[in-house]
Amino acid sequence: MYKLLLAVAALLVPGAAFAADSVALSSMVFVEKTIADADGKAKVTLHEPKVVTPGDRLIFILNYQNRGSAAANNFVVTNPLPTAVAYQGTADASAEVSIDGGKNWGALAVLKVADGAGRWRSARPEDVTHVRWTMKQAIPVGAQGKLSFRGVVR
Amino acid sequence: MTKTLKRIAMATGVSVVALGATPAFATGTTAGTAINNTATVNYQVGGVSQTAINASNSFTVDRKIDLVVAEVANLTTSVAPGSTAQVTTFTVRNTSNAPLDLGLAVTQQTGGTATHGGTDTFDVTAPGTFVDTNGNGTYDVGTDLAATFLDELAADTQRTVFIVANIPLGRVNGDVADVMLTAQAFEAGTTGTQGALVTQTAGANTAGVDTVFADIAGVVDVASDGKHSDDDDYTVSAPVLTVAKQSRVISDPVNGTTNPKFIPGALVEYCIVVSNAATGAPANTVNIGDPLPTQTTYETAFGIFQSGTFTGTPGTGTCNADGTAGGTFTATPTPTVSGTLGTLAAGATRTLYFRVRIN
Repeated sequence: MYKLLLAVAALLVPGAAFAADSVALSSMVFVEKTIADADGKAKVTLHEPKVVTPGDRLIFILNYQNRGSAAANNFVVTNPLPTAVAYQGTADASAEVSIDGGKNWGALAVLKVADGAGRWRSARPEDVTHVRWTMKQAIPVGAQGKLSFRGVVR
Repeated sequence: MTKTLKRIAMATGVSVVALGATPAFATGTTAGTAINNTATVNYQVGGVSQTAINASNSFTVDRKIDLVVAEVANLTTSVAPGSTAQVTTFTVRNTSNAPLDLGLAVTQQTGGTATHGGTDTFDVTAPGTFVDTNGNGTYDVGTDLAATFLDELAADTQRTVFIVANIPLGRVNGDVADVMLTAQAFEAGTTGTQGALVTQTAGANTAGVDTVFADIAGVVDVASDGKHSDDDDYTVSAPVLTVAKQSRVISDPVNGTTNPKFIPGALVEYCIVVSNAATGAPANTVNIGDPLPTQTTYETAFGIFQSGTFTGTPGTGTCNADGTAGGTFTATPTPTVSGTLGTLAAGATRTLYFRVRIN
Protein backbone atom coordinates (compact mmCIF):
# COMPACT_ATOMS: atom_id res chain seq x y z
CA MET A 1 0.00 0.00 0.00
CA TYR A 2 2.83 2.35 0.85
CA LYS A 3 4.58 1.53 -2.40
CA LEU A 4 1.43 2.09 -4.37
CA LEU A 5 0.98 5.50 -2.80
CA LEU A 6 4.52 6.38 -3.68
CA ALA A 7 4.00 5.34 -7.23
CA VAL A 8 0.88 7.43 -7.54
CA ALA A 9 2.69 10.34 -5.99
CA ALA A 10 5.46 10.00 -8.53
CA LEU A 11 2.96 10.31 -11.35
CA LEU A 12 1.58 13.48 -9.90
CA VAL A 13 4.92 15.26 -9.48
CA PRO A 14 5.41 17.88 -12.22
CA GLY A 15 8.01 16.83 -14.81
CA ALA A 16 11.51 17.59 -13.70
CA ALA A 17 13.32 19.67 -16.28
CA PHE A 18 16.54 17.66 -15.82
CA ALA A 19 15.01 14.21 -15.71
CA ALA A 20 17.40 11.59 -17.05
CA ASP A 21 16.34 9.45 -19.96
CA SER A 22 13.52 11.76 -20.77
CA VAL A 23 14.07 11.19 -24.46
CA ALA A 24 14.42 7.69 -25.82
CA LEU A 25 16.28 6.99 -29.03
CA SER A 26 16.83 3.71 -30.80
CA SER A 27 18.85 2.89 -33.86
CA MET A 28 18.04 -0.09 -36.03
CA VAL A 29 19.37 -1.31 -39.32
CA PHE A 30 17.81 -3.61 -41.88
CA VAL A 31 19.14 -5.16 -45.06
CA GLU A 32 16.98 -4.55 -48.07
CA LYS A 33 16.84 -7.51 -50.42
CA THR A 34 15.12 -7.64 -53.75
CA ILE A 35 13.79 -11.09 -54.49
CA ALA A 36 11.59 -12.31 -57.30
CA ASP A 37 8.20 -13.56 -56.13
CA ALA A 38 6.31 -16.50 -57.63
CA ASP A 39 5.12 -14.34 -60.52
CA GLY A 40 8.68 -13.21 -61.24
CA LYS A 41 8.01 -9.71 -60.00
CA ALA A 42 10.71 -8.05 -57.96
CA LYS A 43 9.77 -7.72 -54.32
CA VAL A 44 11.71 -5.76 -51.75
CA THR A 45 11.96 -7.32 -48.31
CA LEU A 46 13.70 -6.20 -45.14
CA HIS A 47 15.85 -8.45 -43.04
CA GLU A 48 17.90 -8.23 -39.91
CA PRO A 49 21.57 -7.58 -40.69
CA LYS A 50 22.62 -11.17 -40.23
CA VAL A 51 24.24 -11.90 -43.56
CA VAL A 52 25.68 -8.66 -44.88
CA THR A 53 28.18 -8.39 -47.69
CA PRO A 54 29.55 -5.46 -49.69
CA GLY A 55 26.96 -4.01 -52.03
CA ASP A 56 24.05 -4.82 -49.74
CA ARG A 57 21.52 -2.03 -49.35
CA LEU A 58 20.79 -0.95 -45.79
CA ILE A 59 18.01 1.03 -44.18
CA PHE A 60 18.84 2.75 -40.91
CA ILE A 61 15.83 3.57 -38.77
CA LEU A 62 15.91 5.91 -35.79
CA ASN A 63 12.96 5.91 -33.42
CA TYR A 64 12.62 8.66 -30.87
CA GLN A 65 10.09 9.38 -28.17
CA ASN A 66 9.76 12.03 -25.58
CA ARG A 67 9.33 10.00 -22.40
CA GLY A 68 9.94 12.99 -20.20
CA SER A 69 7.33 15.13 -18.66
CA ALA A 70 8.05 18.32 -20.56
CA ALA A 71 8.18 19.22 -24.21
CA ALA A 72 11.62 18.89 -25.81
CA ASN A 73 12.62 21.67 -28.14
CA ASN A 74 15.59 22.42 -30.38
CA PHE A 75 15.44 18.71 -31.01
CA VAL A 76 18.29 17.62 -33.30
CA VAL A 77 19.09 14.04 -34.29
CA THR A 78 22.59 13.58 -35.73
CA ASN A 79 23.89 10.39 -37.32
CA PRO A 80 27.50 10.16 -38.50
CA LEU A 81 27.76 7.53 -41.23
CA PRO A 82 29.89 4.49 -40.51
CA THR A 83 32.90 4.64 -42.83
CA ALA A 84 31.95 1.36 -44.45
CA VAL A 85 28.54 2.67 -45.45
CA ALA A 86 27.87 4.89 -48.45
CA TYR A 87 24.91 7.23 -47.96
CA GLN A 88 22.05 6.68 -50.37
CA GLY A 89 19.58 9.35 -49.31
CA THR A 90 16.64 9.83 -47.06
CA ALA A 91 12.95 10.28 -47.64
CA ASP A 92 12.77 12.99 -44.97
CA ALA A 93 12.94 16.32 -46.74
CA SER A 94 13.97 18.08 -43.54
CA ALA A 95 17.27 16.22 -43.41
CA GLU A 96 20.54 18.06 -43.88
CA VAL A 97 23.80 16.40 -44.71
CA SER A 98 27.45 17.18 -44.20
CA ILE A 99 30.29 16.09 -46.44
CA ASP A 100 33.10 17.40 -44.24
CA GLY A 101 32.68 15.58 -40.97
CA GLY A 102 29.92 17.80 -39.62
CA LYS A 103 31.45 21.25 -40.12
CA ASN A 104 29.10 22.46 -42.85
CA TRP A 105 25.54 21.38 -43.41
CA GLY A 106 22.98 21.67 -46.16
CA ALA A 107 20.96 19.86 -48.76
CA LEU A 108 23.09 17.48 -50.82
CA ALA A 109 22.25 19.38 -54.00
CA VAL A 110 23.92 22.57 -52.79
CA LEU A 111 27.08 21.08 -51.31
CA LYS A 112 30.28 21.17 -53.35
CA VAL A 113 33.42 19.08 -53.11
CA ALA A 114 36.87 20.36 -54.09
CA ASP A 115 38.23 18.13 -56.82
CA GLY A 116 41.84 18.85 -55.85
CA ALA A 117 42.53 20.77 -59.05
CA GLY A 118 41.10 24.10 -57.97
CA ARG A 119 37.62 23.29 -59.16
CA TRP A 120 34.48 22.20 -57.40
CA ARG A 121 32.03 19.48 -58.23
CA SER A 122 28.58 18.73 -56.88
CA ALA A 123 28.59 16.46 -53.86
CA ARG A 124 27.48 12.90 -54.44
CA PRO A 125 25.61 10.72 -51.94
CA GLU A 126 28.76 8.71 -51.19
CA ASP A 127 30.53 11.93 -50.10
CA VAL A 128 28.14 12.33 -47.17
CA THR A 129 29.73 11.92 -43.74
CA HIS A 130 26.82 12.96 -41.49
CA VAL A 131 23.07 13.29 -41.70
CA ARG A 132 20.94 15.23 -39.28
CA TRP A 133 17.38 16.25 -38.70
CA THR A 134 16.40 19.47 -36.96
CA MET A 135 12.84 19.52 -35.65
CA LYS A 136 11.18 22.92 -36.05
CA GLN A 137 8.45 22.04 -33.61
CA ALA A 138 8.92 21.01 -30.01
CA ILE A 139 8.35 17.35 -29.29
CA PRO A 140 5.41 17.16 -26.90
CA VAL A 141 5.39 14.80 -23.97
CA GLY A 142 4.79 11.27 -25.18
CA ALA A 143 5.17 12.14 -28.85
CA GLN A 144 7.28 9.83 -30.96
CA GLY A 145 8.60 9.70 -34.46
CA LYS A 146 10.70 7.79 -36.88
CA LEU A 147 13.57 8.88 -39.10
CA SER A 148 15.32 6.80 -41.69
CA PHE A 149 18.03 6.90 -44.30
CA ARG A 150 19.49 4.48 -46.77
CA GLY A 151 23.03 3.34 -47.27
CA VAL A 152 24.94 0.66 -49.08
CA VAL A 153 27.81 -1.40 -47.71
CA ARG A 154 30.99 -0.24 -49.42
CA MET B 1 21.70 2.03 -23.80
CA THR B 2 18.57 2.74 -21.85
CA LYS B 3 16.11 0.12 -20.74
CA THR B 4 13.54 1.51 -23.12
CA LEU B 5 16.03 1.35 -25.93
CA LYS B 6 16.89 -2.25 -25.15
CA ARG B 7 13.23 -3.13 -25.28
CA ILE B 8 12.80 -1.50 -28.65
CA ALA B 9 15.95 -3.09 -30.00
CA MET B 10 14.92 -6.52 -28.83
CA ALA B 11 11.49 -6.12 -30.33
CA THR B 12 13.06 -6.03 -33.75
CA GLY B 13 12.08 -9.57 -34.65
CA VAL B 14 12.30 -9.95 -38.40
CA SER B 15 12.42 -13.24 -40.24
CA VAL B 16 15.77 -14.35 -41.59
CA VAL B 17 16.25 -14.73 -45.30
CA ALA B 18 19.68 -14.69 -46.83
CA LEU B 19 21.43 -14.20 -50.17
CA GLY B 20 20.83 -12.11 -53.24
CA ALA B 21 23.43 -9.42 -52.74
CA THR B 22 23.76 -6.68 -55.29
CA PRO B 23 27.35 -6.55 -56.56
CA ALA B 24 27.56 -2.78 -56.54
CA PHE B 25 31.17 -2.68 -55.37
CA ALA B 26 34.03 -4.65 -56.78
CA THR B 27 35.41 -5.81 -53.49
CA GLY B 28 34.33 -3.54 -50.71
CA THR B 29 34.57 -3.62 -47.00
CA THR B 30 36.79 -6.39 -45.67
CA ALA B 31 35.00 -9.38 -44.22
CA GLY B 32 34.83 -9.20 -40.44
CA THR B 33 34.61 -5.42 -40.31
CA ALA B 34 32.08 -4.21 -37.74
CA ILE B 35 29.74 -1.51 -38.97
CA ASN B 36 28.77 0.51 -35.95
CA ASN B 37 26.12 3.19 -36.37
CA THR B 38 25.54 5.74 -33.64
CA ALA B 39 22.87 8.44 -33.67
CA THR B 40 22.68 11.32 -31.21
CA VAL B 41 19.80 13.48 -30.03
CA ASN B 42 20.49 16.95 -28.71
CA TYR B 43 17.55 18.81 -27.27
CA GLN B 44 16.45 21.32 -24.75
CA VAL B 45 13.78 21.28 -22.12
CA GLY B 46 12.55 24.59 -20.88
CA GLY B 47 15.41 26.35 -22.68
CA VAL B 48 18.05 24.24 -20.96
CA SER B 49 20.24 21.92 -22.99
CA GLN B 50 19.95 18.33 -21.86
CA THR B 51 22.47 15.54 -21.89
CA ALA B 52 22.71 14.16 -25.40
CA ILE B 53 21.13 10.77 -25.94
CA ASN B 54 22.98 8.18 -28.04
CA ALA B 55 21.74 5.05 -29.69
CA SER B 56 23.86 2.62 -31.62
CA ASN B 57 23.80 -0.71 -33.30
CA SER B 58 26.48 -2.85 -34.82
CA PHE B 59 26.76 -5.71 -37.26
CA THR B 60 29.61 -7.53 -38.92
CA VAL B 61 30.31 -7.62 -42.63
CA ASP B 62 30.28 -11.20 -43.85
CA ARG B 63 32.54 -12.78 -46.42
CA LYS B 64 31.34 -12.51 -49.97
CA ILE B 65 33.07 -14.95 -52.31
CA ASP B 66 33.28 -13.64 -55.83
CA LEU B 67 35.84 -14.24 -58.54
CA VAL B 68 36.15 -13.60 -62.23
CA VAL B 69 38.06 -15.55 -64.86
CA ALA B 70 38.39 -13.67 -68.14
CA GLU B 71 40.14 -14.52 -71.35
CA VAL B 72 42.67 -11.92 -72.43
CA ALA B 73 42.65 -10.36 -75.91
CA ASN B 74 39.57 -12.22 -77.13
CA LEU B 75 41.51 -13.88 -79.94
CA THR B 76 42.12 -17.47 -80.87
CA THR B 77 45.67 -18.75 -80.56
CA SER B 78 46.94 -19.74 -83.98
CA VAL B 79 49.02 -22.92 -83.78
CA ALA B 80 50.91 -25.26 -86.08
CA PRO B 81 50.36 -29.03 -85.93
CA GLY B 82 52.89 -30.71 -83.64
CA SER B 83 53.88 -27.46 -81.94
CA THR B 84 54.57 -27.46 -78.20
CA ALA B 85 54.01 -25.00 -75.35
CA GLN B 86 51.20 -23.11 -77.05
CA VAL B 87 49.65 -20.46 -74.83
CA THR B 88 46.20 -19.07 -74.12
CA THR B 89 45.98 -16.23 -71.61
CA PHE B 90 43.47 -15.46 -68.87
CA THR B 91 43.15 -13.15 -65.91
CA VAL B 92 41.84 -14.47 -62.61
CA ARG B 93 40.53 -11.80 -60.25
CA ASN B 94 39.53 -12.11 -56.61
CA THR B 95 36.56 -9.77 -56.26
CA SER B 96 35.71 -11.12 -52.80
CA ASN B 97 36.11 -8.98 -49.70
CA ALA B 98 38.69 -11.38 -48.28
CA PRO B 99 41.96 -12.97 -49.47
CA LEU B 100 41.68 -16.39 -51.10
CA ASP B 101 43.71 -19.19 -52.60
CA LEU B 102 42.23 -19.80 -56.02
CA GLY B 103 42.45 -23.32 -57.41
CA LEU B 104 43.05 -23.58 -61.16
CA ALA B 105 41.78 -26.34 -63.42
CA VAL B 106 41.71 -26.86 -67.18
CA THR B 107 38.94 -28.71 -68.96
CA GLN B 108 38.45 -29.22 -72.67
CA GLN B 109 35.36 -28.85 -74.75
CA THR B 110 34.19 -31.81 -76.81
CA GLY B 111 32.47 -30.76 -80.01
CA GLY B 112 30.20 -27.76 -80.19
CA THR B 113 30.99 -24.20 -81.12
CA ALA B 114 34.27 -22.85 -79.82
CA THR B 115 34.45 -19.45 -78.17
CA HIS B 116 35.88 -17.71 -81.23
CA GLY B 117 33.73 -19.57 -83.74
CA GLY B 118 34.34 -22.80 -85.57
CA THR B 119 33.63 -26.25 -84.20
CA ASP B 120 35.77 -27.87 -81.54
CA THR B 121 37.38 -30.81 -83.33
CA PHE B 122 40.26 -31.94 -81.14
CA ASP B 123 41.82 -31.77 -77.68
CA VAL B 124 45.22 -30.32 -76.96
CA THR B 125 47.63 -32.55 -75.05
CA ALA B 126 49.18 -32.03 -71.62
CA PRO B 127 47.46 -28.72 -70.83
CA GLY B 128 48.88 -27.08 -67.71
CA THR B 129 48.29 -23.84 -65.82
CA PHE B 130 51.14 -21.38 -65.41
CA VAL B 131 51.14 -18.19 -63.36
CA ASP B 132 52.59 -14.98 -64.76
CA THR B 133 55.31 -14.88 -62.09
CA ASN B 134 57.00 -11.74 -63.40
CA GLY B 135 53.68 -10.00 -64.07
CA ASN B 136 54.44 -8.93 -67.65
CA GLY B 137 51.31 -10.54 -69.11
CA THR B 138 53.36 -12.72 -71.46
CA TYR B 139 54.28 -16.36 -70.96
CA ASP B 140 58.01 -16.68 -70.33
CA VAL B 141 59.33 -20.23 -70.38
CA GLY B 142 61.19 -21.05 -67.19
CA THR B 143 60.16 -17.82 -65.48
CA ASP B 144 56.41 -18.25 -65.32
CA LEU B 145 55.97 -21.41 -63.31
CA ALA B 146 53.37 -24.13 -63.35
CA ALA B 147 50.86 -23.83 -60.52
CA THR B 148 47.61 -25.49 -59.61
CA PHE B 149 46.45 -22.56 -57.49
CA LEU B 150 46.99 -18.84 -57.01
CA ASP B 151 48.47 -18.42 -53.56
CA GLU B 152 47.13 -15.81 -51.13
CA LEU B 153 45.39 -13.62 -53.69
CA ALA B 154 44.36 -10.43 -51.86
CA ALA B 155 40.91 -8.92 -52.24
CA ASP B 156 40.44 -7.01 -55.50
CA THR B 157 43.69 -8.20 -57.05
CA GLN B 158 44.27 -10.33 -60.10
CA ARG B 159 46.91 -12.50 -61.69
CA THR B 160 47.49 -13.54 -65.26
CA VAL B 161 47.24 -17.29 -65.79
CA PHE B 162 48.35 -19.15 -68.91
CA ILE B 163 47.14 -22.47 -70.22
CA VAL B 164 50.15 -24.03 -71.91
CA ALA B 165 49.50 -27.08 -74.10
CA ASN B 166 50.83 -29.11 -77.00
CA ILE B 167 49.14 -29.51 -80.37
CA PRO B 168 48.95 -33.05 -81.76
CA LEU B 169 50.64 -33.73 -85.10
CA GLY B 170 48.34 -34.42 -88.00
CA ARG B 171 45.77 -31.73 -87.21
CA VAL B 172 44.76 -29.85 -90.33
CA ASN B 173 44.17 -26.23 -91.13
CA GLY B 174 41.09 -24.85 -89.36
CA ASP B 175 40.91 -27.49 -86.61
CA VAL B 176 39.85 -25.92 -83.30
CA ALA B 177 40.43 -26.94 -79.68
CA ASP B 178 38.48 -25.05 -77.01
CA VAL B 179 40.03 -24.95 -73.53
CA MET B 180 38.31 -23.78 -70.35
CA LEU B 181 39.96 -22.38 -67.22
CA THR B 182 38.05 -22.70 -63.95
CA ALA B 183 39.11 -20.96 -60.76
CA GLN B 184 37.69 -22.04 -57.42
CA ALA B 185 37.81 -20.42 -54.00
CA PHE B 186 39.99 -22.04 -51.35
CA GLU B 187 40.85 -20.68 -47.93
CA ALA B 188 43.87 -18.42 -47.75
CA GLY B 189 46.07 -18.33 -44.68
CA THR B 190 49.30 -20.21 -45.24
CA THR B 191 51.71 -18.99 -47.88
CA GLY B 192 52.72 -21.74 -50.27
CA THR B 193 49.93 -24.07 -49.22
CA GLN B 194 46.53 -24.40 -50.80
CA GLY B 195 43.93 -24.07 -48.07
CA ALA B 196 40.71 -26.02 -47.63
CA LEU B 197 37.84 -25.61 -50.02
CA VAL B 198 35.69 -22.61 -49.13
CA THR B 199 32.16 -23.62 -48.27
CA GLN B 200 29.13 -21.45 -47.99
CA THR B 201 27.67 -21.02 -44.51
CA ALA B 202 24.68 -23.31 -44.45
CA GLY B 203 21.44 -22.50 -42.70
CA ALA B 204 21.03 -19.64 -40.30
CA ASN B 205 23.41 -16.78 -39.73
CA THR B 206 26.18 -17.38 -37.23
CA ALA B 207 27.66 -14.91 -34.81
CA GLY B 208 30.96 -14.89 -36.67
CA VAL B 209 31.75 -14.06 -40.25
CA ASP B 210 29.53 -16.03 -42.60
CA THR B 211 30.47 -16.97 -46.13
CA VAL B 212 28.20 -16.17 -49.05
CA PHE B 213 28.87 -17.21 -52.65
CA ALA B 214 28.14 -14.29 -54.96
CA ASP B 215 29.95 -15.39 -58.13
CA ILE B 216 28.23 -15.35 -61.49
CA ALA B 217 27.95 -18.33 -63.81
CA GLY B 218 30.91 -19.05 -66.09
CA VAL B 219 31.16 -21.16 -69.23
CA VAL B 220 31.30 -24.42 -67.26
CA ASP B 221 30.04 -23.45 -63.80
CA VAL B 222 26.85 -22.11 -62.32
CA ALA B 223 26.24 -18.97 -60.28
CA SER B 224 26.96 -19.02 -56.54
CA ASP B 225 29.20 -22.11 -56.55
CA GLY B 226 32.48 -20.50 -55.49
CA LYS B 227 33.86 -20.95 -59.01
CA HIS B 228 34.11 -19.02 -62.22
CA SER B 229 35.31 -20.04 -65.66
CA ASP B 230 35.99 -18.75 -69.14
CA ASP B 231 37.29 -20.31 -72.31
CA ASP B 232 39.67 -19.64 -75.15
CA ASP B 233 40.62 -21.71 -78.15
CA TYR B 234 43.46 -22.85 -80.35
CA THR B 235 43.00 -22.81 -84.11
CA VAL B 236 45.32 -24.88 -86.27
CA SER B 237 46.89 -22.86 -89.01
CA ALA B 238 48.75 -25.16 -91.42
CA PRO B 239 49.83 -24.84 -95.02
CA VAL B 240 47.51 -26.60 -97.45
CA LEU B 241 49.93 -27.79 -100.10
CA THR B 242 49.19 -29.51 -103.38
CA VAL B 243 51.87 -30.89 -105.66
CA ALA B 244 51.52 -31.60 -109.37
CA LYS B 245 54.12 -32.88 -111.78
CA GLN B 246 53.90 -32.29 -115.47
CA SER B 247 56.21 -33.02 -118.39
CA ARG B 248 56.69 -31.79 -121.93
CA VAL B 249 58.96 -32.99 -124.65
CA ILE B 250 61.47 -30.40 -125.88
CA SER B 251 63.05 -32.22 -128.80
CA ASP B 252 63.69 -35.67 -130.20
CA PRO B 253 66.52 -37.03 -132.38
CA VAL B 254 64.20 -37.42 -135.40
CA ASN B 255 61.98 -34.31 -135.41
CA GLY B 256 64.25 -31.94 -133.54
CA THR B 257 62.18 -29.26 -131.83
CA THR B 258 59.35 -29.39 -134.37
CA ASN B 259 56.52 -31.50 -133.01
CA PRO B 260 58.91 -33.65 -130.99
CA LYS B 261 57.72 -37.02 -129.72
CA PHE B 262 58.47 -39.05 -126.54
CA ILE B 263 60.87 -41.43 -128.28
CA PRO B 264 64.18 -42.75 -126.99
CA GLY B 265 66.75 -39.98 -127.04
CA ALA B 266 64.06 -37.27 -126.65
CA LEU B 267 64.69 -34.39 -124.23
CA VAL B 268 61.89 -34.06 -121.67
CA GLU B 269 61.30 -31.22 -119.16
CA TYR B 270 59.73 -32.10 -115.85
CA CYS B 271 57.99 -29.34 -113.90
CA ILE B 272 56.99 -29.88 -110.28
CA VAL B 273 54.28 -27.41 -109.27
CA VAL B 274 53.65 -26.72 -105.56
CA SER B 275 50.65 -24.60 -104.54
CA ASN B 276 49.56 -23.35 -101.11
CA ALA B 277 45.82 -22.77 -100.79
CA ALA B 278 44.59 -19.25 -100.12
CA THR B 279 43.39 -20.37 -96.69
CA GLY B 280 46.67 -22.07 -95.79
CA ALA B 281 49.34 -20.77 -93.49
CA PRO B 282 52.70 -19.83 -95.05
CA ALA B 283 54.88 -22.88 -95.60
CA ASN B 284 58.53 -22.39 -94.75
CA THR B 285 61.40 -24.22 -96.40
CA VAL B 286 59.46 -26.26 -98.92
CA ASN B 287 61.90 -28.95 -100.04
CA ILE B 288 61.37 -31.11 -103.09
CA GLY B 289 62.99 -34.45 -103.83
CA ASP B 290 62.22 -36.24 -107.10
CA PRO B 291 63.70 -39.71 -107.79
CA LEU B 292 64.06 -40.07 -111.58
CA PRO B 293 62.48 -42.93 -113.53
CA THR B 294 65.10 -45.53 -114.47
CA GLN B 295 64.31 -45.05 -118.14
CA THR B 296 65.59 -41.49 -118.02
CA THR B 297 68.95 -39.79 -117.59
CA TYR B 298 69.37 -36.44 -115.89
CA GLU B 299 70.38 -33.65 -118.30
CA THR B 300 73.30 -32.00 -116.54
CA ALA B 301 73.76 -29.39 -119.25
CA PHE B 302 70.33 -27.85 -118.49
CA GLY B 303 70.54 -27.98 -114.69
CA ILE B 304 67.81 -27.38 -112.15
CA PHE B 305 65.71 -24.25 -111.76
CA GLN B 306 63.81 -23.36 -108.57
CA SER B 307 61.03 -20.98 -107.53
CA GLY B 308 59.75 -20.37 -111.03
CA THR B 309 56.27 -19.00 -111.68
CA PHE B 310 53.39 -20.85 -113.19
CA THR B 311 50.50 -19.81 -115.40
CA GLY B 312 47.23 -21.67 -115.48
CA THR B 313 46.06 -24.72 -113.60
CA PRO B 314 48.72 -27.11 -112.28
CA GLY B 315 48.82 -30.19 -114.45
CA THR B 316 47.75 -28.38 -117.63
CA GLY B 317 49.17 -24.87 -117.32
CA THR B 318 52.50 -23.44 -118.32
CA CYS B 319 55.70 -23.70 -116.36
CA ASN B 320 57.38 -20.35 -116.99
CA ALA B 321 61.12 -20.41 -117.70
CA ASP B 322 61.91 -17.87 -114.99
CA GLY B 323 63.31 -20.02 -112.19
CA THR B 324 66.60 -19.49 -110.42
CA ALA B 325 69.35 -21.98 -111.08
CA GLY B 326 70.13 -24.11 -108.05
CA GLY B 327 69.24 -27.43 -106.50
CA THR B 328 71.27 -30.59 -106.54
CA PHE B 329 71.38 -33.86 -108.41
CA THR B 330 72.62 -37.00 -106.70
CA ALA B 331 73.33 -40.04 -108.86
CA THR B 332 73.48 -42.68 -106.12
CA PRO B 333 71.87 -44.72 -104.74
CA THR B 334 68.87 -43.51 -106.74
CA PRO B 335 69.25 -40.68 -109.22
CA THR B 336 67.37 -37.87 -107.49
CA VAL B 337 66.77 -34.19 -108.16
CA SER B 338 66.39 -32.01 -105.04
CA GLY B 339 65.60 -28.34 -104.57
CA THR B 340 63.89 -25.84 -102.32
CA LEU B 341 61.15 -23.30 -102.91
CA GLY B 342 61.76 -21.24 -99.75
CA THR B 343 58.65 -19.82 -98.14
CA LEU B 344 55.37 -20.39 -99.90
CA ALA B 345 52.79 -17.79 -98.89
CA ALA B 346 49.05 -18.45 -98.83
CA GLY B 347 47.72 -18.66 -102.37
CA ALA B 348 51.20 -18.83 -103.91
CA THR B 349 52.38 -21.32 -106.55
CA ARG B 350 56.03 -22.04 -107.32
CA THR B 351 57.79 -24.52 -109.57
CA LEU B 352 60.95 -26.54 -109.82
CA TYR B 353 61.95 -27.74 -113.27
CA PHE B 354 64.74 -29.78 -114.88
CA ARG B 355 65.29 -31.91 -117.94
CA VAL B 356 66.00 -35.59 -118.62
CA ARG B 357 66.72 -37.63 -121.73
CA ILE B 358 64.73 -40.77 -122.47
CA ASN B 359 66.97 -43.82 -122.63
